[in-house]
Amino acid sequence: MMTYIVFILSVIFVMGFVGFSSKPSPIYGGLGLIVSGGVGCGIVLNFGGSFLGLMVFLIYLGGMMVVFGYTTAMATEQYPEVWVSNKVVLGTFITGLLMEFLMVYSVLKDKEVEIVFKFNGMGDWVIYDTGDSGFFSEEAMGIAALYSYGTWLVIVTGWSLLIGVVVIMEITRGN
Amino acid sequence: MSLVYMNIMMAFTVSLTGLLMYRSHLKSSLLCLEGMMLSLFILATLMILNSHFTLASMMPIILLVFAACEAALGLSLLVMVSNTYGTDYVQNLNLLQC
Repeated sequence: MMTYIVFILSVIFVMGFVGFSSKPSPIYGGLGLIVSGGVGCGIVLNFGGSFLGLMVFLIYLGGMMVVFGYTTAMATEQYPEVWVSNKVVLGTFITGLLMEFLMVYSVLKDKEVEIVFKFNGMGDWVIYDTGDSGFFSEEAMGIAALYSYGTWLVIVTGWSLLIGVVVIMEITRGN
Repeated sequence: MSLVYMNIMMAFTVSLTGLLMYRSHLKSSLLCLEGMMLSLFILATLMILNSHFTLASMMPIILLVFAACEAALGLSLLVMVSNTYGTDYVQNLNLLQC
């Protein structure tokens, strides 16, 4: 079972996505996105990307979802809709789950699924190895190259974040 | 191509479908947009880690920066709509009458 742990985590990922795409009240949608974010971090960690997994938790969940939670608390209604309180939401959720399980079943039966690409199950536990990378983590070195090869990228993103802040202050000024 | 990619592309498609079909709240569509960004981040990270393309490891971080910008802008628009109408229901946005 442990060789298929990445596949199981990705199935839970899709189930979390169906959970907020069926659009219950936004606070429960945020809960589904937090679950999906945590499971996505687990998938990235299984491929050896520890820094990028930490980025998902810290920046994505800890930054963006907290802001979403606060604005939801501001603009919410008195009795938020949960998944079972509305037939449309429940029906969409069950249809999405059914679609995912049918796809998993067809994968388990045929060992191969063709949608646009040809997906086969053989590559899940094989990680292509291009040789010894020494004592450092390749991914951390690639991200550290952001400050040497990617200086212009840092300048552009920093400037666009500053302009974003100014735009938001202009929008929320009102009148 | 391995099966994990199929599931993550499926998650992206589910979130895209959720974005395009409104219900009552505008906030739910913004959440689906965030879900699309998350699935793109995970997909890019997995492909980059699997092919040992070291120098491209900075790309998911830059994607996350621009996704944060976009989420903040969307939320500020939502806050202004909520200040004007009291809630963020989509049916309130009906100034265009043609």
